[in-house]
Amino acid sequence: MKYRQITLAMMTGLALLLCAASRGQESPVYTRWENFTTANGMPDDKVFQAAVDGDRVWVGTENGLVLIEKGKIQRVYRPEDGLANRVVTGVAVDQSSGDVWLATFGGLSRLSGGEFKNYKNFTSGLANDIVYAVAVQGEYVWAATTAGISRLNTHTGEWSIFSEKNAPMHEPWSYGIAVTEKKMYFAVWGGGLLEYDIAGGWWKPYNDPDGEMEIVLFQNQGLIHDIVSNVAYNPDTQMVWASTYFGLSGYDGHNWHNYLSTDSALASDFINAVQSRGNDVWACTDKGLSYLNFKTGEWITYRPAENGNGGDIAITTADKKVQHRQTSTTLAHNYILNLTFQGDDIWVATAKGLSHGMRETSHQSTKEGNRNEHKSASR
Amino acid sequence: MSKATQTRNLQAAALLAAALFLGASVLGAAQSQNDASKTDSGYLTPVEAKFSVDGTRLYVVCEDADALLVVDTGTKKVVGRVPVGHRPKDVAQSPDGQKLYVSNEWSDSVTEIDAKTLKVARTIPAGWGPVGLTTDRTGQTLYVANSIGSDVSVIELATGTEKKRLASWRSPHNVLLSRDGRYVFVSNMLGHLGPWDQTPVSELTIIDANRQIIAQRLQVPGVIELRHIAEGPAAEGEDLIIPFMRPKNLNPLIQVSNGWILTHGVLVLHPSSAAKGGYEVSQVLLDDIDEYYAGANGVAFTPDGKRILVTAAEANIVSVIDTAKLKQRIKAVPPDQLPNRLDSAATFVQRRLETGAEPMAVAVSKQGDRAYVVNRLDDSLTVINLATTRVEGRIDLGGPKEETTLRRGEKLFHSAKFCFQGQFACVTCHPDNHIDGVSWNLETPELGKDRVANRTLRGIAETAPYKWNGHNPDLETQCGPRIAKFLFHSEGFNKEELGDLVAFIKSIPLAPNRHLAADGQLTLSQERGKKIFFQKNCDNCHPPATHYTALRSFDVGTANKYDTSGLLDVPQLDRIYEKPPYLHNGEALTLEEIWTVFNNEDKHGVTSDMSKEQLNDLIEFLKTL
Repeated sequence: MKYRQITLAMMTGLALLLCAASRGQESPVYTRWENFTTANGMPDDKVFQAAVDGDRVWVGTENGLVLIEKGKIQRVYRPEDGLANRVVTGVAVDQSSGDVWLATFGGLSRLSGGEFKNYKNFTSGLANDIVYAVAVQGEYVWAATTAGISRLNTHTGEWSIFSEKNAPMHEPWSYGIAVTEKKMYFAVWGGGLLEYDIAGGWWKPYNDPDGEMEIVLFQNQGLIHDIVSNVAYNPDTQMVWASTYFGLSGYDGHNWHNYLSTDSALASDFINAVQSRGNDVWACTDKGLSYLNFKTGEWITYRPAENGNGGDIAITTADKKVQHRQTSTTLAHNYILNLTFQGDDIWVATAKGLSHGMRETSHQSTKEGNRNEHKSASR
Repeated sequence: MSKATQTRNLQAAALLAAALFLGASVLGAAQSQNDASKTDSGYLTPVEAKFSVDGTRLYVVCEDADALLVVDTGTKKVVGRVPVGHRPKDVAQSPDGQKLYVSNEWSDSVTEIDAKTLKVARTIPAGWGPVGLTTDRTGQTLYVANSIGSDVSVIELATGTEKKRLASWRSPHNVLLSRDGRYVFVSNMLGHLGPWDQTPVSELTIIDANRQIIAQRLQVPGVIELRHIAEGPAAEGEDLIIPFMRPKNLNPLIQVSNGWILTHGVLVLHPSSAAKGGYEVSQVLLDDIDEYYAGANGVAFTPDGKRILVTAAEANIVSVIDTAKLKQRIKAVPPDQLPNRLDSAATFVQRRLETGAEPMAVAVSKQGDRAYVVNRLDDSLTVINLATTRVEGRIDLGGPKEETTLRRGEKLFHSAKFCFQGQFACVTCHPDNHIDGVSWNLETPELGKDRVANRTLRGIAETAPYKWNGHNPDLETQCGPRIAKFLFHSEGFNKEELGDLVAFIKSIPLAPNRHLAADGQLTLSQERGKKIFFQKNCDNCHPPATHYTALRSFDVGTANKYDTSGLLDVPQLDRIYEKPPYLHNGEALTLEEIWTVFNNEDKHGVTSDMSKEQLNDLIEFLKTL
C-alpha cells in the first residue's frame, strides 16, 4: 500500500513537472502565489486589471493606479496626481511609445513620461466617461464605454464613436476590447461579440442564436450568450474567446467551442474575463480561476481553500478524473476579475487583491506533488 | 588674354552659373509650392546652422529660400546650395557626416541630401510641421519634431518610413541627441493647456533612444517658448541649457513700465540622481534690471564648456556667459528667487555682442576658436572670435541688398527696441507669427479684468476689426499709438514704420491645412459636420466668404464676471485646430469645451440638442477650414 502511494506520488509529481515544463503542450500548474492587498500597500483591494510592460506591472484598482516593479509596489497614482478618476477599470500599455492608457470611471487617461493627460466626454470626443476597457491598435486608441466604442486617432486627434447608431450593436454598453493584426473584437454587454475589420471598416456581429435565453439549446451553435463581459484573442491559435455571464465561448473562425460549468470543469458560468495564449485558456469566474488546456481538454481550477488555509487546485482530466492539490499560498480571492501574463507568470486581478502566480520549479513540483497528493488522498 | 582677364572671365562665368543655379533652385522650389506663403523677394532668411562632422563646413538652413546653404568657414564663402522642401527649419547629419537631413515644416517632409555631392537623395515623409531633428548614434533612426502635430516622428532611415510617433507636448521645436546617445531631448514652444488664469507650464520631452519611448516629461513652471538645447561637456557636468521666455501673464501688461513683465533667460538642467526627474532645474534670467534681451533662442557651449553663447533674437545680441560664474550664481541664490532675479546676469554674462538682425541660432567651431551666429533677417552670419570675445566679421549669405517694405516690416515685428527697456517685440507673444498659448491681462489696469487669449496673426489681413472687443478698426490702430501707449510704453512706430509693419502683418500667410485632403475631398465625418455647420446656422456669425467671421461682435454668452462686456469679436475659423485655447479668455482648452462647457444657454449656437457624434463631426469639419 505504502509502496503504491509513493509510486503514485512520484508519478503525479513527474507528470506535473512535465506540465510545468512546456507551456502550450501541457497544463501549467501555479503553486506559488504572492498577493498584493491593502495590507501590503495597495490603495484598494478591488483590482480590475493588470497590464505588463517588461518588468513593470501596471494595476488598475478601485482607488488608483499601481506600479509594481521588482516585486514591490513602487508607486500609487491617484486623481490628485492627474489621473482622470480613482476607479481604474482597464489598463493598456502602448509598447511602441511606453505610454500607459487607462480606462477609468471618469474618462480616459494617458500616463506618459510620468505625466497624465486626460480625455473626458466634455473635453474631448470620448463617447462617455464610464470607460471599461482600453486598447492600443497602431496609432489608434480604442475605449469601451457605456455609450459605445470610442476611437482616437492619436496622429490627427480625430474621435470616432461606434454605437447602436452606426454599428450592429443591440446595446452600446461595451465592456472589453481585443486587438489583432487585422481585426478588432469588442465585448458588448447584451450585444454579443462584435468583429471590426480594420482595413475595410466593416462590422460583423456574433450573437447568441438562442437570443437572450439563459439556456443553451445546442451547445456549439454559436456565441453562448449575448451578455459578453470580455473578449480575448489568441494569436497562437487565432481563436477568439468571449467570456459571458452564462458560460465561455471560443471561436476558431469556423466552429464555436462553448463551455458551461454543468458539462465541464469550468468553475462557474459567471465569467468576468478570459485570456488565452498557446493552448491555454483562462476563465476569470466568480468562483475561482479556471484554466482549460484547449488541446488536451484538461481543466485546472484555482481558488482559496474553503477552510481558509492555503489554496485548492482542482485538476480535471479530459476523462473527468479529478485530482485536488493543496498549496500553502493561493489567490487573494475566488472572485476573479481579470488576468494577464508576464513570461511564465500570471497576474490575477481579484475582488480582494492582486495575485502573482508563479509556476512551480521541478523541486517544488515533486515536493508539493507528494504533499498534496497525500493531502488529497486523506480527504 | 591676360591672366587678370582670364580670371575675371572665369569669375563672371562662375557668377553666371551660380546665378542660373540659384535661379533654377528658386524656380524649382517655387513650383513645388501650392500656397500663398511663398515669398518671391529672394531673401534667404537663415534660421539654423550646424557644423559638418569634420568641422570644415557650416550647413545653413534658409527658410524663405527653401534651401540649404553650405558655407566654407575657411573662405567665409557660400560654396553650395541645395533646394529642399517648403519652410525648412533644421538640419541633422548622419554620424559619419555623409548624409544630411533637412526638415521642411510646411511640406511635412525631410529632405535627405548626399553631403559630398550635395544632391537630394530622397524625400522622406514626416508628421505635421517637421522642425527640429536629429539622428541617433547609429545613424539608423531619425527623430523629427512635428510642430503642428505636437509629436515626434521616429523614422527608420533604411526604409525611409515612419516607425512610430511619440507625443510631445505643444509645438515641439528643437531636438538634441544627448552626447552619450541615450536620450533625445525635445523642447516645446508652448506651455500646457491649463487653467486660463494660471501661469503656463512648459515641458522638455525626453525620449529613451534605446527603447524609442517617452522616458520623461520634465515640467517647467512659469515659462514658455523653450528653444534650442545645448549640452555641456562631461567636464562641466553635462548640463543642459535651454533658452526660454518667462511671461508674467497674470499681471496687467500695462504695467510693463514697472519692468519685469516679460523676462528672458535660460533653463539650466543639471543631471542629479538625487533630484526629482533626474535633473536639478534652475531658471536664470539673462536680462539686466534696466535692459532686457528678448527672444532668447540660440545656444551653444564652447568645446571646453567654459562659456555659453545665447542669442537674443529680438535684441540682436549674443550674450557670452561664464559657465563657472553661472553655476556660482545658481548656488548663491535660493531656487525660489532665482527665476525672478534681474540682478543675476551681471554676475555671469561676460559680454554682450551685437549681431545682425534676429540672431536665431549659434554654432561654435570644433576648435572653439569661433562662433557663427545666424542672422535670420540679415541673410548673414556674424563671426565671433572667441579668443578675443569680439565680433570679427560678417559672412554675407547672398540675399538681396535692398530692403522691401515687407522686410522692413518683418524686422520691426521682430525688434524689441520699441518697447520700454526692450522687454518684448511683437513676435515675443506671437512666435512664428502665431500664438504663445497664453491668456493675457491686456491694457486694463485692473488686475485680472478682461483677460484675453492670444490670437494668431496668420491670415488676419481681411478679418478686421481687431482685438477681442473689436475696438480696433484696422491694424494701423492696433499696432500704432495703441500699442505704443498700452503695451510698449514708448513712442512706438513712426508713420513709415507703421506702414511697413502693417504690410508685413497683412502678408502673414496661413499654414497649410493638415486636416483637409489634398484634393479638398471631405471625409464622411467632415461632410456630416459641414451639414451640421450650416443647419445650425453657424455661418450667420462665421460666414465662409469672410474667413468664417462676420467681422463684428456678438454676445454668445461666454463672458464671465471678469469681463467688462459680453460683446466679443467673432474670431475667424481658419486653421482653428492650430490655436487652442479657445474663446476670448482661453477658458475652453479644446474645441469640444466651447459647446460642452461654455454654451449652457445655447447662445453660442443651439447645440444642446446635438449628440456626441454630431459634435465630433462638427469639430472634424471645423478643422478643415
